[in-house]
Amino acid sequence: MAVKNLPIVPSGDPGALAEASNAAIQRIKRPEITDLAKVNPIVLLYCPDGAISLDENGILISYKLCKGCGICAKESEGIVMVPEYTGPKGIF
Amino acid sequence: MNKVLITGSEAAALGAKLAKIEVLGYYPITPAFPAMERLSKYIDDEELNCKFIRVESDHSALAAVLGASLAGARSYTVTNSQGLLLMTEVAYHAAGLRQPIVMGVANRALSAPHSRFPEQGDAVSQGASGWIQFFCENNQDIIDNTIQAFRIAEELRNPVMVNYEGYIQSHTLEEVYVPDQEKVTVFLPLNRQPALDITHPRGVNTVTSPEFYTDYKYIQNEAMTEALNVIPRVAEEYNKEFDAESCGLVEGYRLEDAEHVLVAMGSIVSTARILVDELRKEGKKIGLLKVKVWRPFPAKAILDLLQKARYVTVLDKNIVFGVGGALATDIKAASYGQDNLIINGVILGLGGRKCGVDEIKEAVNHTESSDSDKNRSEWIGL
Amino acid sequence: MVDFKNPQNQELFGQGNVGCKGCGAAIAGRQAMKVLGERTIITIPASCMATLGGNNTKTTWRVPFYHTLFECAPAISSGIRAALDIQGIKDVNVVSWGGDAGSADIGFQSLTGAAERQEHMIHVLYDNEMYMNTGGQTGSQTPLYAITSNGSLGKKVRKKNMLAIMEAHGIDYVASANIAYPEDLMAKFKKAASKEGFSYIHILAPCHRGWQIKPEETIAISRKATESGLWELFEVDEGKRTRTYEPSFTPVADYLKSQGRFKNLTAEQIDEYQKSVDAYYGRGE
Repeated sequence: MAVKNLPIVPSGDPGALAEASNAAIQRIKRPEITDLAKVNPIVLLYCPDGAISLDENGILISYKLCKGCGICAKESEGIVMVPEYTGPKGIF
Repeated sequence: MNKVLITGSEAAALGAKLAKIEVLGYYPITPAFPAMERLSKYIDDEELNCKFIRVESDHSALAAVLGASLAGARSYTVTNSQGLLLMTEVAYHAAGLRQPIVMGVANRALSAPHSRFPEQGDAVSQGASGWIQFFCENNQDIIDNTIQAFRIAEELRNPVMVNYEGYIQSHTLEEVYVPDQEKVTVFLPLNRQPALDITHPRGVNTVTSPEFYTDYKYIQNEAMTEALNVIPRVAEEYNKEFDAESCGLVEGYRLEDAEHVLVAMGSIVSTARILVDELRKEGKKIGLLKVKVWRPFPAKAILDLLQKARYVTVLDKNIVFGVGGALATDIKAASYGQDNLIINGVILGLGGRKCGVDEIKEAVNHTESSDSDKNRSEWIGL
Repeated sequence: MVDFKNPQNQELFGQGNVGCKGCGAAIAGRQAMKVLGERTIITIPASCMATLGGNNTKTTWRVPFYHTLFECAPAISSGIRAALDIQGIKDVNVVSWGGDAGSADIGFQSLTGAAERQEHMIHVLYDNEMYMNTGGQTGSQTPLYAITSNGSLGKKVRKKNMLAIMEAHGIDYVASANIAYPEDLMAKFKKAASKEGFSYIHILAPCHRGWQIKPEETIAISRKATESGLWELFEVDEGKRTRTYEPSFTPVADYLKSQGRFKNLTAEQIDEYQKSVDAYYGRGE
């Protein structure tokens, strides 16, 4: 019998979900930056998954965390949604 | 140690005060409220440095106490019957979160029909909750058990319920030896283990899947089982430190050659003592087994003391419908395979019905008569 | 007020959360945490927000987070504040973050209790106008005529006015917010965090599943709610009421008809909505 080694108070490790993100599996479309200069940095605050950050060039999208919801593309110029899968359709 | 004349409510409040509780939450209910008010007075008079959260319901009372405990404070509340049942959800939750909360319960019968009189039904309803449960025989027990409860709760990381009876104890004056504050402070070192700690953030009570839930419950049950070792050890330490005579798990009275043993928990133990002395004078070989700890159930400790007996009368001031008295059911289950014992479960004193010496005597006689049936409980006092 | 050149780069909430893509609640949480910061303890009653926050041994939160029982998050927070005070731990935001059920319905009792006591805490109601965590049932915050998973004929009574109720408690701060107006929302959190007593912030946070819109429309729909006048952005700061955004009064029909949950609305019902908005703002008389 092997009881798991668990914390006394049932609890989770902080920030651990970010490392274990399965967002990429959920994506049907992903955002692509077509014109960095035109992107409104407000999208940083519109992303439900904290996938957008800012570096010295402008916004940066983390494809590890992005679920492809499309809010950033809708709310800003310079970002478009492209399909994850572009192969033959209708087979499955 | 000084000796005072106080009610059970005052004894509970004094126990919590000596334990220097830091957060108190309560919602008034009869007959628990005097203990609550006494504590509020200690706080108002600046005799106790404690935050009082004047919640709007019993459920919120235990919730506030739980929140405080999770954030690292020593917390306490008092309730009974309807309030206890309302906070049942929080009680199970607090036990699952392994919080060292102590709760005083001034046992009272459950509605319906509406009753304000003493009975053990409310405590029994929490039997599966994961709370350690003590039953007090008298006001001295109340203060001793309350202090020990904090120590046991914080060692095991498990909440403890200290049961005493409404009116019979909560509102009745008895002589009580009060331990010295400085010694109690040493006896109860503050061991903070906040789960909600700003310096060490964690996500408490995440949604848990089957792969983990059973393990958590196993670990929790292990702590409850370990309590069977911790409780007697703490009682012994307490007795030594405070020159007291408090009980560990169970205590025998005139059991050495007893053929018939009365088993009980709560105030009825003191009544049974009187009957035992009376019957002993008449030459009957009868003794008393006081059960202080009902959860975890001290099966071995009880059976060890019943070794030489033939008849056992278990007094229950509660009823588990369709089954029988809670204590009797536990003892019968534990004594499975032991053919030497005739165990008779007796239900009495429900909703404050008189259960004095005469009633217990009737129970004793019934056990030894041919009417005694191990598969049925005998209702005394109808 | 948002300095995008130096955003708070550490995400205290949201990364890897197990919510749906385009989740309005997650957006609200992220915006709020930008202001509340790491000295925050957050309690969340049973809700989507509690569920998406983590499972088993992992959580998305980087501040202490506690998934409470359904009814009592504000009571739990009261206890946490008392414990912090008695230990002399200062400058910590204690926040209870409930959905509409956990704040306005099953959680209402403990909310009103904590507000009456003027506990030093913030309560946030993130409003997706239905009980989403259990599949989208009708609650007191569901608007009139909206279709839900257990009310296919549309709700027959109005949305309970929680902002007015909380204002009536005489607490330090009451505010309505909208995830489509992040600067306004964040300014309100900043104010709430500075108060000594109880603050209440009610955020409109659409759920695309429940509202039957596309995930990418979450912000756009939320914006329409305020621009049409239906979701007024205001604050009541120690009794003084201020509207914090003047809507442009786009037609209410545009907002309603964009959502699947209002698809069966008749012209009369839409007109009823428009008239109630006009009356509220004193327009068209």
